[in-house]
Order: sequence, then structure tokens, then C-alpha cells
Amino acid sequence: MSVLWQQQTHGVPRRSGQLNRTLALLLIVAITLIALLGAAYLSLAAANVSLSREVWQMEQNLVRLQRENQAIMVEVARNSSIPVLQTRSTALGYQPAEAVAYINFTEP
Amino acid sequence: MLRGPDARLRLIVTLLIAVLLPIIGQLVRLQVLEHAQHKAEAQELVERRYALPDPPWGCITDRNGDLLVGNIPVYNIGAEIGLLRSDMAREEAARALAPLLNRPETAILADLTLRPEEEGRQYVWRPLAYSLSAEASQSVTLTRYSWITIAPTWQRHYPEGALAAHTLGFVNSNGEGYGVQAAQVRFLQGQRVENIGEVGVDSNPLPDEMASSQGLPYPGADLRLTLDRTLQAFVEGELDRALQEYNAPSGTIIVLDTRTGDILALASRPTYEPWRFAEVAAAGEERIFLDPNISIAYEPGSVFKLITVAAALDSGRATLDWSYQDQGRLEYGGIIIRNWDGNSYGQQGLQGVISHSLNVGAGRLSAHVLGGDLFYHYVRAFGFGQPTGVEVRGESAGLVHMPSDWDWADSYLVTNSFGQGIAVTPLQMATAIGALANGGLMMQPHIVAERYYPDGRHVTISPRPLGQPVSAETARAMTGLMVRAVEHELTQAVVPGYRIAGKSSTAQIPGPGGYDPNDVIASFIGYGPVPDPQILVLVNIDRPQVPRHQRWGSQLAAPVFQRIIARSFVLLGIPPDNFAAAP
Repeated sequence: MSVLWQQQTHGVPRRSGQLNRTLALLLIVAITLIALLGAAYLSLAAANVSLSREVWQMEQNLVRLQRENQAIMVEVARNSSIPVLQTRSTALGYQPAEAVAYINFTEP
Repeated sequence: MLRGPDARLRLIVTLLIAVLLPIIGQLVRLQVLEHAQHKAEAQELVERRYALPDPPWGCITDRNGDLLVGNIPVYNIGAEIGLLRSDMAREEAARALAPLLNRPETAILADLTLRPEEEGRQYVWRPLAYSLSAEASQSVTLTRYSWITIAPTWQRHYPEGALAAHTLGFVNSNGEGYGVQAAQVRFLQGQRVENIGEVGVDSNPLPDEMASSQGLPYPGADLRLTLDRTLQAFVEGELDRALQEYNAPSGTIIVLDTRTGDILALASRPTYEPWRFAEVAAAGEERIFLDPNISIAYEPGSVFKLITVAAALDSGRATLDWSYQDQGRLEYGGIIIRNWDGNSYGQQGLQGVISHSLNVGAGRLSAHVLGGDLFYHYVRAFGFGQPTGVEVRGESAGLVHMPSDWDWADSYLVTNSFGQGIAVTPLQMATAIGALANGGLMMQPHIVAERYYPDGRHVTISPRPLGQPVSAETARAMTGLMVRAVEHELTQAVVPGYRIAGKSSTAQIPGPGGYDPNDVIASFIGYGPVPDPQILVLVNIDRPQVPRHQRWGSQLAAPVFQRIIARSFVLLGIPPDNFAAAP
């Protein structure tokens, strides 16, 4: 190869070899750093979004359970309300106590 | 023609710069110069005011934890009608929604149609149905209309029906209402969450927005009341029975724990169904929302003699040996008062004033023994003319004329002594007589026993003394007088195995032209078991329509009192006097 080819690329004279290597190294380091930072940022953002979704789902579940709990509480209260108990106990043959007797028990 | 590599390189660089410059320029324009405007536009698109689903209101239970007021999950349906573009789409939607929302198709179509003033607006929201069940709401979801909004919310539910309706009350959408719910609204109502933030197409906040917001809505605090639902149901049953038996339009009953001021039962008739308050209000019958036990004052009649006699004893102006010559009439302040039967009773003491319910004796005590200053000192000390502070909305203070008032008349001093010309609420009366049962210490009547917060905290409402209007000695003496009155004159109130202290009253009802010549309020107040009273019962039966000779508190209210206090002893596990505790 001729000396001319080594000194020129596409007609542009090349600078000294030492400078080119330093510049390339700096560029590689900068690009690597930027890539690392970018990856870390993206990973953090993705984790954040994922966590947000989890929190959101848990809150939705909490609200759903809260609503189900309230509905069950009301249903239980309705089924054990006085009119229902009265009807049921009358159907079973119970009658209001007319005379109440108190009995003494000696503690053991 | 470009020659040489330098020229070509310059051309490429120039072209690249020519392409990049407009791009950079646009970026600067969009991101720097017009930054604020575009940010606002973007926010308008994704950021909106949103509200998270309402938190449930606090539940209300009785003293044993049985639910009295709870919440049912329901759904409100709305429509973003700006998103409905054609008449055909509206008609089809109205047809599909009518059976699901249980509304006429024409009404839904009218709701889905834009009004002239709404034309051109991007967002027009209109409610379509309120308080739909979960099943109905699910059916609406299945229609898959993207413009339908479904907002979960709550509806108050009363599992015991109209039990304790006046006491529990209600709160309307403006936060106004009656009963304990209205009085405790700041504890019962949860905290809503309203924010401006990023929302999705369904107008709900995005997960990121939810995660960064202040949290979920905070539910209201639960209340445990002092009421006993079993006793309340029994008392209401007895009141209904009495009103039917005596053909009376209204009545009230209070059951109080005299040691703590706990209200165990509070019944009033006529009543209403609290979940139908809107219908009642629409019919113009709001007056029924007021609890006569707390909000409506009446002239108590003869039971007020207990206050007069207690004042005379406690002041030292009269002793148990005090006596007077009853001539059946007393002239004072320009009026003449007579005994209830117009008879004269001869030599009488304090026992006679209570047992025979002598107006003349009570008048002598207030006018000649106590005097105005002392008598009204005791009237105030017993809490009359001021609210008791019970946790129920709309409490009345009653009406007490004081000697310093512009409309004072001397005759008030004698008429007030036997409960005329003075207006009190049944709760005030029960609280005052409760002091006699509790060794002279008057407890504040209260209905909220505890508050439970969603974060696990709970606040117990301790019994609070209102004052000591009379000494323990006076209270004991008064109890003795009342016990003898029951045992000798008011035997309808006797409960076998227990000693009961009580007093009946047959109060005239004032009207615009004087006292009603026909109607009365038959009442009875008493407590037991003596000597350690725990339960006080006040029964008022308004305007009983029975023959005139039967229209007495001792005949009408005393038997009701007797049944209630006897059952209270059983329900609350209070053994009879002759029951000796196991050694």
C-alpha cells in the first residue's frame, strides 16, 4: 500500500493516529455511559410502572372486598333481624317467656 | 459538477444541515417557545378532575353489636352523551337500556339527546339511573357502550326495618337530616378523594396517578349505640299495643339506665321508614321526622310535682314531717288552682302531695315554702329549659318562664309546681327524675357508646354527670315517697318481686284558647328496682280516646310502664329483691 492511501481516506488527510485513538476511546466511554444510564432509567421506570399497577390492583381489590364485606354484613343482619327471628322462632314453636325464675348456683 | 472529495463532503454537510435546521427549529418552537401552550393542551387531553368511588359511611350497631344501619353497594349510571353521534345510536341505546334501568324508553332517549345549549360541547355527562344493584349494573356493563359511566356508591340500609326510626334518622345528599345520623354525620361520613390528574378513556385515574395520589377514600367511623334492639322492639310493640288499645294517635316511651344515662330504648309514634325519607318529605310531612321524645316539648303535668317536692326537701324548707291543711283550692297570683278532682284532702304531708297528686299541696310548696328564686333555682338545676346534649339532631330546650322574663306572671309559680305553664321534653323529664334514682347525681342522657375508626382506634363515650341537683339524702327520701305512692295508690305499676318508685300524670294540653277540655296526655314515670335503681321508664300516651273516667295516667300509662319495666328486668338480667345471691 502506498503512503498516500495511509494518510488519506476519501480524500481527507488523516490526523495523527494518537489523537484518533483517544477520541475514539472517549466516544466509546461516553456512549457506554449514556447507554448504561439509559438502561438504568428505563429499568427503573418499568419497575415503577409495574409497581404502580400492582398498587392499583391491590387498591381495586381492597375496594371490591370492602363492598363485598358490607353487602355480607347487611345480609347477615337482615337474616338475623328481630322480625325474621320472631317469625322463625314462632314457626319452631317457641313462645315468649311469661314467668322467669331465677336459680342460685353455688360457685364450685 | 463537483470535483474533489472536499467539495462533495461540503455538499453533504450542507444538505444535512439544511435538513436538520428546520427540525431543530420546529423542536425549539414546540418545546421552548410554545411549551406552555402545548403542555396545557396535553394536560387537557389526559388530565381531568376525578373522584374515587365514595367510601362507605360508618355502620351503626346496638349495644350488643347487632347491626341497625349498614350500607348496600349500589351503582349510579351516567352517560357521556357528547360521544353519541347519531339519532339512530341514541334510539338503539335507549331501547337496550330501558329494561335494564327500569325506566321508560322515551325518558332515556330524552336524557341521551343533546339540548340546544349543549351542542358543540365535547363533554356532556348526564345521569341515567341511581342506586342500581350489582346485578343490574353488570347487565349495563355487558351492553359495552363506551359512553356509559358506572360509578360505584352506597345506599344506607336498615336491616331492622323502621325500628328506632326517629333515633337513627337519616341524612340526605346535602348532609342534612335527623336523628343520631345527622348529629354524628362528621364521624359517620367518610372522606372522599377528589383530585386533578391523568385519567384513562373510562375517566378513571391511571394506575400511576393512583399510586402517586393521597390514597384511598377513608371510610366513616362505626358507631355502637346504647340502645338494646331487643328491648327497643319490645317497647315499640308495647307502644303500638297501647295506642291501639286506647285509640290514641301518638305516644312516646323512654327507657334509661339511671346510673350511666345510657338510653336503652327510645320509641315514638307515629313513625316513618327512614329509607323513604324523600317520599315523606315530598308529601310535606317533614314534621314526622322530629322525635317527640327529644324535639317536641309538652306540659308534663303531675310528674313535675316530684321536682317541686324534691326542691322543698333539698332546700331544707320542708322536711318529711311537713304538712298543710288542704282545702282543695289555692289562690295565688290572681288565679285559683284546685286539685285534679276538685276535692279537699284535709291534713296532708309530702306523701299526700305525691300519692294523691295534690295540685294545692304542690302550689303551696312552690309559692309559700320555696318562693320563686329557690323554686326556679331547682328547676334549672334539674336541667329544664336547656338541652340535655343528647347526640340526636334537633333537641328542644323546652320552655321555662323565669321571674326575670318580660312575659312572667306570678301565677306561673304555682302552675309550674304541678307541671302546667312549663314545657319540657320527655327526655328532660326522664333525665331529671333519673337523678332521684341515682342518688341525686344527674347523668347526661347519651345514645352513642363508642366510635370505631377504620384505622383501629376506638373512642368510648364515658358517662358524664350533668350535676347534682339534690343531695343523696333527698334522693333517697324522694324514692321512699314514690315507692309508697306506687305500693298504695298506683298498684298498676307494681312488679312482683321488685320495689318500684313511680308517679303518674294526667296532663292537660294547652291550645290557643286555653286548655283542651277533652284531651289529655296520660303518663307514668318510674324506676326500679329500689333500693338500687337501674332502669327508668317514662310512658306518655297522647290524647287517648277512652271514656273520660278512664283517662288517667294511672289507668292507661301505668300498666304499659309495668310491662316494660318487668321485661327490662328480665332482658337485662336484674334479679328480684327476694333473690339472694349465692354465698
